[in-house]
Amino acid sequence: MIAFATPMVLAAFVVLPAIWWLLRLTPPRPVTEVFPPLKILAKLIRKDETPAKSPWWLTLLRLALASLLILALAKPVLNPQADALTGDGPQALLIDNSWISASDWDSRLATARSIIEAASDRGAPVYMAYSAMAENTDVGPFDTETALENLSASAPQPVPGNRNLALQRIVTALGETSGVSLALLTDGVKTEGLAASDLSAPQGLFSTVALYTPADRTALALISSINGAESLDVTAARDPSRVGVETFTLSAFDSRSRPIGTAALEFASGEVTAVAKFQLPFELRNDIATVSIDGVATAGAIQLYDAGSGRRRVGLIAASNNDSAQPLLAPLYYIREALTPFADLVEPEGESLDSVITTVLEDRPSVLILADVGVISAQTRTKLLDWITKGGALIRFAGPRLAAAEPVTDDPLLPVALRTGERDLDGVLSWGEPQPVAAFPETGPFFGLAAPREVTVRRQVLADPTLNKPERTWASLADGTPLVTGTRLERGVVALFHVSPDATWSNLPISGTFVEMLRRVVQLASTSPSENKTAATALPPLRTLNTDGRLIQPPATAEPMEANSQISFQHPPGLYGVSEAFTAHNLFSAQTRFSPFELGADWQNVTRAAYITAEERDLRGPLFGIALALIALDAIAVLWMAGAFSQVRRRMVSAAAIILAALIMMPVGDVQAQENPAAEVSEADAIDAISRTRMAYVETGNAAIDEVTKAGIEGLNMFIASRTALEPGAPKAIDPSADELAFYPVIYWPIDPDAAMPSPEALSNIDTYMKNGGTVLFDTRDELLSGFDASSASPATLRLRDMLAGMNVPALEPVPADHVLTKAFFILEDFPGRYRGGPLWVEANAKAETDPARPVRALDGVTPIMITGNDLAAAWAADEFGEPLYATVPNDPDQRLYAYRAGVNVMMYVLTGNYKSDQVHVPALLERLGQ
Amino acid sequence: MVAIGSTAPRASGGDILARARARAALLPDLLVEAQRIANIITPGWHGRKRRGIGEEFWQYRPYSAGETVARIDWRRSARDEHVYVRDLEWQAAHTVWLWADPSPSMLFQSQLATVSKESRGLVIVLALAEILSRSGERIAYPQVFAPTSSRHGAERLAASLYSVEALEPLPNLSAIGRHSECVYVSDFLDPVEDIIEKLEPMASRAVRVHMVEVTDPSEENFPYFGRTEFVDPETGTKLTAGRADTLAAEYTLLYKARREELTRYAKSRGWSYVTTKTDGLASAALVQLFSSLSAGAQN
Repeated sequence: MIAFATPMVLAAFVVLPAIWWLLRLTPPRPVTEVFPPLKILAKLIRKDETPAKSPWWLTLLRLALASLLILALAKPVLNPQADALTGDGPQALLIDNSWISASDWDSRLATARSIIEAASDRGAPVYMAYSAMAENTDVGPFDTETALENLSASAPQPVPGNRNLALQRIVTALGETSGVSLALLTDGVKTEGLAASDLSAPQGLFSTVALYTPADRTALALISSINGAESLDVTAARDPSRVGVETFTLSAFDSRSRPIGTAALEFASGEVTAVAKFQLPFELRNDIATVSIDGVATAGAIQLYDAGSGRRRVGLIAASNNDSAQPLLAPLYYIREALTPFADLVEPEGESLDSVITTVLEDRPSVLILADVGVISAQTRTKLLDWITKGGALIRFAGPRLAAAEPVTDDPLLPVALRTGERDLDGVLSWGEPQPVAAFPETGPFFGLAAPREVTVRRQVLADPTLNKPERTWASLADGTPLVTGTRLERGVVALFHVSPDATWSNLPISGTFVEMLRRVVQLASTSPSENKTAATALPPLRTLNTDGRLIQPPATAEPMEANSQISFQHPPGLYGVSEAFTAHNLFSAQTRFSPFELGADWQNVTRAAYITAEERDLRGPLFGIALALIALDAIAVLWMAGAFSQVRRRMVSAAAIILAALIMMPVGDVQAQENPAAEVSEADAIDAISRTRMAYVETGNAAIDEVTKAGIEGLNMFIASRTALEPGAPKAIDPSADELAFYPVIYWPIDPDAAMPSPEALSNIDTYMKNGGTVLFDTRDELLSGFDASSASPATLRLRDMLAGMNVPALEPVPADHVLTKAFFILEDFPGRYRGGPLWVEANAKAETDPARPVRALDGVTPIMITGNDLAAAWAADEFGEPLYATVPNDPDQRLYAYRAGVNVMMYVLTGNYKSDQVHVPALLERLGQ
Repeated sequence: MVAIGSTAPRASGGDILARARARAALLPDLLVEAQRIANIITPGWHGRKRRGIGEEFWQYRPYSAGETVARIDWRRSARDEHVYVRDLEWQAAHTVWLWADPSPSMLFQSQLATVSKESRGLVIVLALAEILSRSGERIAYPQVFAPTSSRHGAERLAASLYSVEALEPLPNLSAIGRHSECVYVSDFLDPVEDIIEKLEPMASRAVRVHMVEVTDPSEENFPYFGRTEFVDPETGTKLTAGRADTLAAEYTLLYKARREELTRYAKSRGWSYVTTKTDGLASAALVQLFSSLSAGAQN
């Protein structure tokens, strides 16, 4: 819906035809050009040229532009808001900013803003109060600006609102003022169980009352939870307006927000409460710190737990001293074992029973277990009774002492009156049989547990049948005599196991059912039976919930929680106390129900109104924007008509062609670039490198070593050329980090320990080269230095180790006697260089079984790596006349010859691979051919 | 939209001279030398280096009887006891007259051009002056610079041009003597009849005119589009073209026709007609011009 704030401007539409007429007559402005040969041009142009007319579409464009401007000036408004308030006195606002208002807070703000603006239009002061706000907050009167500031500073609070208090403060602030319009911006929910939800009317103060309620009330909250014996039962309540079947998922988290489990929450049709059960192991349930409704982020949709809701403190007291020598016979052993997983056990030491009980009660246990305690002094009895009435659970076990104790008439510390003495079912003097346990009655806490068939009771204390109350029997034997009796005593519980806590009277304590029974009894106890312990001290806020239902640092307005404090603005829900021991305060109690909020009959002149859902939108901005765009379009059109783009167009076409061509070419270029990622090798260099088979060597940077290497390879080349069909090219010095290595079958790398460590790129390139079939011959040239001590390594060897650490080096072995290298051209036994004795290491053959029938091992591929220390190059090195440059050690001409032969074999090996290993079969093949 | 053409400020003397020097330097010295040799053997082109009727002082010589007393230089004779006659160098009045059109239309420069037409015209004139002075020729500029033979002719001419406040659009060409050479740099955009009418007296006095047409590429190619208002820089007349691009073909035809008519006229008088475009190099026109100058001299 669109309305105009100043519709008079629309009258300007009558001038549109005039604009149209003008536009049609006015041609676009020409470009002025200085032009010296005008006299020549003058012959072509007639002077009285009629002015060009604007094309129709340009006229249309400009008319649209004019129309838009007129429309925009008329201040059009989308979704105009009608005022619900008609009063002319001061304006009062009561705004609900409770926990539920977060979801529609924006619409509440928008409504409040429109009300304030309306009040501003009529010059009325504004009073504002929030249902959740600090007590000392100013409620007005405000001028418009302050009121709007106040409004923007407001935020929903994670607490239920107190409308009465807020209204009271408005009334107080108004004083004698009358004729006030009141706007109640409510969340529409009345929370039962909170007295502050209702609103009583002040008489005759408000001339008009506008009640705003949201269209859909979304109240949904977790109101209570009970950590039962089997499951954690979380109860949720919803607004009665939500009548359908609704299903939610509840998630439980531990104190570090790690998910523990989920449970389904299903509201049956028409029900306002539902229970979700977390069926989790007890230990896990104890870890639950929060339970929240998935996807509902309000302070109400979260339930907080403190330590007290989990484990209970259990005091264990036995009349007899613990016999540590025979633990299995100790009276408390089985109880302790059963309770340890889910309870904090307190076993005080003390001289007398009285002092022990007193000590235990100071620890505020939830449960006190008295194993076979017969006589309790009157003083202690009073203390115990006091403790039980406040919620303590007293669990007693029978035994010889209890059986022998003089019965106290109407003993409150026993659920049933007992006969003196015990009943022996299995003694030599009895005729009875040990009795099994009957099924657990529905009235007792054990209902649902399977009666243990294997348990038999041989002895028990008997309840006095005349005084017995059947409903107090929680478990009984097959013959009907009670096994466990119990009763509630005000807030507390008193229970008695009619058997001893050890295995002497029955085998119940060693059955699994005993654990389960104990657990259920302990659950009966309230978590903190001594509420009055914290009554004196106020707990400081530790972590409080925010509106989104997240635990945050408490806000500055949060105050310490006293025992009788209600959840309010000063006391937001959350955890109070210190981080080691805190109490959880949730937003709602189990009695909470939600109902629609209505004003009572004592309210007069009430009008109902709805919140602004769609924001009132001023359309001027978009209209002016479109008009601006049209102006730009018009400018472009005029330029185009003046021919501004005709030159540009040609350039653009050619530029586009170039770009297109570049785009087409680019992938090709990329592919090419990817194909040879190594250094850019010019074609000429590549052809030059591969036109001759040649050995490459790595330059160490040490001129002396490099010269020896070069001379050595040249000398070897001469030898190879004279002895074989191969005529190698001149040796090539390479830099493994930059040069393309793929052109060379073998790279000779003399190790110089003094040179810098090769760069990672160099090592990576060498690694790639080796992987792709190249062979690197490392020469540590240190044979003379090593050999005395196998564990010591020369600097060159250490450097080589460092280098090889960064590569994928296969397993190595010294050249075995049947390796192809020993037979590739010459038959060699070792590979001497300038020195003799150092082994030549090559890749180890995995299938190294030596077959005496085969003179040569068949190896696939060529070893990617050879390592020697014999300084081959120095032995090969010769001057231009073929004279050797370095004497061999020892000085033996044969050794030099063998060094050359080793070089030939290496060269032949890397060039021919395992060819020779097949050649050894030639005589056999020839022999067969001859046949 | 930015206009293609604009009116450039008048070129400054020093800048023009420097550029003219650079252009002149491009002409090979050998060529200039060759022309000089040719000129020595050619009567009518060069100063005769002997006494005779001319404009320049040549020598003082003792008075010999029989000569007319009017030729005695009394100032010189008063210094000693002899009577001297002032001899002038015999000249055939073959001075090269240079003239660059200073009209406002020459100030035009379009985006396509590197310099304005005026600047280009002055560069050509000064380069010519430089070359001619270097080879010992006499140069002159109507109203500005009397015929001078000097090594630094170009500099002096530039200095003179610089000091002149305003030049008349149409020079007084009557000072140009018979059988002189005249280099006339202009855009020749006036009606052809007017130009011919202006030059016809020169033809009658046997002056050889070398017409150099400086043209802006936008004048020749007519790169205008759309609705355009054309303004004449000289008269301020305005013409509006609705779709300028439609006029291009016809205009180019007319423009070329004018040039051809002028070329034809020049040829009929035995003159030369050289065209230079301001987006090209001045050197090309200079070489062409120089060759036609020397060709004329050899005739």
